[in-house]
Amino acid sequence: MPLDNLVCGLLETGVNKLHQLDSSAKQKRKALDGTIIGVSLKEINKPLYFVISNQQIDLLSQFEGQPDCFIRVNFLALIELQDNHQLTNLIKSGQLEVDGDIKTVQKFAQLLTEMDIDWEEHLSKKVGDLLAHKIVYHAKQCKKTFTKQSDKAHKQLTEIITEELKVAPGPLEVAYFCDQVSDIEKQVAALEKQLARY
Amino acid sequence: MSEREENTTHFGFKTVEEEKKVELVAEVFHSVAAKYDVMNDVLSMGIHRIWKRFTIDCSGIRHGQKVLDLAGGTGDLTAKFSRIVGQEGHVVLADINDSMLKVGRSKLRDLGIEGNVEYVQANAEELPFPDNHFDLVTIAFGLRNVTDKDKALASIYRVLKPGGRLLVLEFSKPIYKPVSKFYDFYSFNILPKLGKLIANDSESYQYLAESIRMHPNQESLKEMMENVGFEGTEFFNLSAGIVALHRGYKY
Repeated sequence: MPLDNLVCGLLETGVNKLHQLDSSAKQKRKALDGTIIGVSLKEINKPLYFVISNQQIDLLSQFEGQPDCFIRVNFLALIELQDNHQLTNLIKSGQLEVDGDIKTVQKFAQLLTEMDIDWEEHLSKKVGDLLAHKIVYHAKQCKKTFTKQSDKAHKQLTEIITEELKVAPGPLEVAYFCDQVSDIEKQVAALEKQLARY
Repeated sequence: MSEREENTTHFGFKTVEEEKKVELVAEVFHSVAAKYDVMNDVLSMGIHRIWKRFTIDCSGIRHGQKVLDLAGGTGDLTAKFSRIVGQEGHVVLADINDSMLKVGRSKLRDLGIEGNVEYVQANAEELPFPDNHFDLVTIAFGLRNVTDKDKALASIYRVLKPGGRLLVLEFSKPIYKPVSKFYDFYSFNILPKLGKLIANDSESYQYLAESIRMHPNQESLKEMMENVGFEGTEFFNLSAGIVALHRGYKY
């Protein structure tokens, strides 16, 4: 029991800390003021109740009343919840079960996933404008280099496999091979026709 | 305890006149009110938050219900209850000590909690509320300081609606010997020193440690609740019995 409470407490603090940084969160919470949403992961079957109010989100691990909305969701589907257009797909494929108003679920998903946090602004209050700009600029630069490098590594790896080690065929080889196959197919068909004549 | 006279009670390990205990307890809380929250976090190493969370989980509280948070102090439980019961619900934060009540009120106002919360200075022994009024009464770390506990429990029983429940969160007796040893050392040697260091008041925290020892253990508190009419009473030991949550229903 107390372990649940500990997890709940940590989650609650985390979510609310992030919400404090997000200027639009208050508006979103206002739209859901007073609603209680139960969420249960299919894998662990332990419901969590989100009590949403103007001030903050409270998490309860036990709730004896009737929540406004109850969601049962796969762990993997959680990530896709970000995209509101995916909701109906998820319901159709059975990864998401909703008991209650679907609009509430959409708003709730937005509340938790669409956080618009201006890290540079918040950082600037702590370390000053100049340093904050530098840090965020470098962080972005790092991210860019990282994606570039990983793309490059990806490319190199394919080249090593197809060109140097020759463990897998390159795209042109595959295309050539396919052409050859279809050529043979045609020849076989022609041959069959000739045979049929006799 | 055996040579205790009729009109005396205990204040920590000391024996005092019954009328004096109220005053003495009041003094303790007047002196710690300002630093109460910080001290709670430091002394319990933050664990009191988990105890309170557990209490809320056991409360079964719902939208639109009425809650009395007795000895609510700085309003930790009230804040949560206020959000759960919503605007149609009602939460009363009651404390006998006006310093604590003031700290609680200003803290909750700062949090933006208003509208469904009322603040009442009340004595738990003579609650100023009508019969059958509340769906839930909680008393967290408060019963220990009440002079006549049976009277307080009876008074709580009176204001509860049939079907309502009482939750008593209070220090209790550790269930394991080693824990008990460490706990005794901590509360008599470290706790008053920390109190001196942070709130500049070692006596209040000496009293805290002593009053915990004088408080009835799990089984006797359960019996006391049953004696005034509570049914289906049970208790949960938290942190190896350092704290226990008692729950009783009025049917």
